[in-house]
Formats: sequence, C-alpha cells, structure tokens
Amino acid sequence: MVKFGIEFVPREPYWKITYYVIQAEKGGFTNLWVTDHFNNRNVYVTLTAAALYTTKITFGPGVTNPYMVNPVFTAQAVATLNELAPSRVVLGIGAGDKTTLDCVGVEWKTPIVAVQESVDVFRRMTNGENVVYDGEVFKIAGAKFLFKPRGKIPVYIGAQGPKMLALAGKIGDGVLINACHPKDVEYAVNCVKEGVKEANKRFDEVDVAAYTSFSVHEDLKKSTKAAVPVVAYIVAGSPGQLLERHGIDLKKAEEIRDALKANDWGRAFGAVAPEMIEVFSVCGTPDTCVERIAQLLKSGISQFVVGSPIGPNVREAINLVSEKIIPHFQT
Amino acid sequence: MDYGKLVEAVAIQKRSVLSDKLVDLILASKNDDKMPSQLANTMLNHWQKDVLNTQTGLTVLLEAAVLLEPEKTLAALTELQLTNIAEQLKEALVKT
Repeated sequence: MVKFGIEFVPREPYWKITYYVIQAEKGGFTNLWVTDHFNNRNVYVTLTAAALYTTKITFGPGVTNPYMVNPVFTAQAVATLNELAPSRVVLGIGAGDKTTLDCVGVEWKTPIVAVQESVDVFRRMTNGENVVYDGEVFKIAGAKFLFKPRGKIPVYIGAQGPKMLALAGKIGDGVLINACHPKDVEYAVNCVKEGVKEANKRFDEVDVAAYTSFSVHEDLKKSTKAAVPVVAYIVAGSPGQLLERHGIDLKKAEEIRDALKANDWGRAFGAVAPEMIEVFSVCGTPDTCVERIAQLLKSGISQFVVGSPIGPNVREAINLVSEKIIPHFQT
Repeated sequence: MDYGKLVEAVAIQKRSVLSDKLVDLILASKNDDKMPSQLANTMLNHWQKDVLNTQTGLTVLLEAAVLLEPEKTLAALTELQLTNIAEQLKEALVKT
C-alpha cells in the first residue's frame, strides 16, 4: 500500500507547522519531511517540536545537504532526534541547490561524491564508530560520539539527475524523486532500478517516493493559482533539456527566470503557462489529484509526498487529502 | 481578561464551529510574533488530545485569537451570534 508523506517549509513559526503535522498524522499521513534552507527556520528545531506532539509519523529533513552542513553534525542531530522518537527518524539528504549555496558563498562541486561520502560518514557515525575518513570531499581525522547512538537510521537520497538517482538506488534505503510528471517519474524509477541492480538489492527494499509540488482545492482555479509561484521557481531552475522534453517554450522559461531575478513576481507568475503547471505539479480538485497520483503509482513508487504549496489553504488541503485522496488508495 | 468565563457562555452546540473558526483565524494570521510560545504549546497539547472544542480548549483559542487578531475575533463571534461575548470582549479590549 502506498504511503503518503507531507512536506513543510519552516518559513512559518514552529507552532503553525506543528499544528499541521498533528493534523496530518491524525489524517493518515505516514511521513513528514521538513526542508532545510539557511533562510528559513532550522529544520532540526522544527522536527523536534513535531516529534514532541506526535506518536506515529516518521520524519526527517527533506532534504539536507553536505555542503552547508558537515555530515558529522548531521549525524549528531539526527541521532539525537532518534533518541527523542526512536524508530521514527530518517535522514533525507541531497546535493542541495546551487542558487542557495551561491548566496552563502559555498562552492557546489562533485555532488555525487559529496552525497556518497556524506552518507558513508553518516552511517558510520550513527553506528557509533570512530570515523577516520580520507575522502575526496571529506577528510575526518577521528570523530566519535561520546554517546551511544540508537540503532540504524534509514537514509533517503533526494535525486533528480540519472547519476544521482542510480546512486540513490544503490546506497539509499529510500529515494526522494523530485518530479511530478508520470514520464519523469517513470524515467527516474528506471534509473533507481539500475542502482538497485548494481547493489544486488531487491527494488522493494528501497522506499521510492515521488516528492511533488502539490495543490488541492475543490475549486480547480484556486488550486492552480496556489501552484503557480512554486511552478515558476521550478521552471526557472530546470535545465533546458528537461523543459524541451515536455515541449515547454524555452523563451518563456527564460522570461520567468529573468523576472524572478528582478523580483518582478507579477511578470514571473504571469508567464507560467498551463503546460508548465501540468508538468511540474500535481494540482487540481481531489478527483483530479487521485487520477494524477494513480498514474504516478504505475511507475512503481511506494510513497507519494504532498509538497509545497499543499493548497491555497493548508488546513483545508490536509483535510481534503486525508478525507478524499488517501482513502482512495487504501482499498 | 478571564477568557474561561467568556467561553462558559458559549452554548455546547456552538463550540465546535467556534473552535474551527478560531483555529482558521489563528493559522491565517500574519501576526505570528504576538503568539506567546507557552500559549502556542498549550494550544498544540489540546489539539493533540483533540480537545480544542472543550471549555479549556476554547479558552486557549480565544486568548490566542484575541492576541493575534482582536478585530477579526470580534467579527467571528458576532457572525456566530455570540453577541454578548463579543460585547464583553470589546469592552475589555477598550479598557486595556
């Protein structure tokens, strides 16, 4: 049976997010992902609050990256969370995004190696080892916790490109696929399968999640309107190859990129075309969303993540997913 | 202000709908900085236990709603025909 995850961006105060998390847990969501960006509130503080007010939901950063945060610190934070909520904690890690890293002057280099090494360091640290590491990206002279970590913590790798997807299949316990369109998800799942095969694992040993930008409302127009800003940013950050594959006008994408750079939101959001919304989001009425999710499930994903914006009204949207979407996939 | 006393006057059949309205108002508010963390934690505790529509739950919600959105809270109470409570609240707000 497919699992339903939900993503929150800690731009809002902890108490609002925690309110929604409690609501999501009551409504049947099984996984919580909180984004990790320097310009929002801290992911681990947000997750701690969520952990204290829930009892079942599995949670983790969705996703952190090895450039802004050294994997030794990530291991410490996640291992501590695992004491607070044993067996409910996972790590979500990816390569981060260049635009955000550029803001803080952190160089984005060799993402595949950086993620691979950080997963290795994370696992060894949370296994209680004294880690001496001579990697290409990480050099660790000798690091060991002065406390005993509580058991194995599943690692999910956030991925979009073919190499990262294959790596995720090979070394991850789960994969967070950043895609919404069935063609993209199917392509991604095939890449994951290559990595799984290389590691001599079974595909069902890996929890494969479609991490989507999602918006639901009973009124189609309202759901679409809420998705537009998120889609604008996705289009602006997408490689030309991906846009061309979906027949998206590169000039329009360029226009959005320029408008966002100039903080001209009206022009940027106004340039978002219906085909962009179709490709880069799962949005619509509950019935439309059920249809879209059912299409994605055919590719073999085991988790569907309801990501930002969730809906024009988050509280209402969580209720809609809980009452009209999740039950559809529980029979 | 004794929010508990104000809530006592809310008829039982109106408690759920009032609770719902106040939660919407609190979550939609942009005045996040006016929410004391202790009050927020108490609200979350009540929500976790599913008792936001009880006497104590509504007391917490009303206090939070008044701190974050006093005018909208008065409007919500009036809309639910809880005019007496709205008037008492208005009077108390003018005094503070």
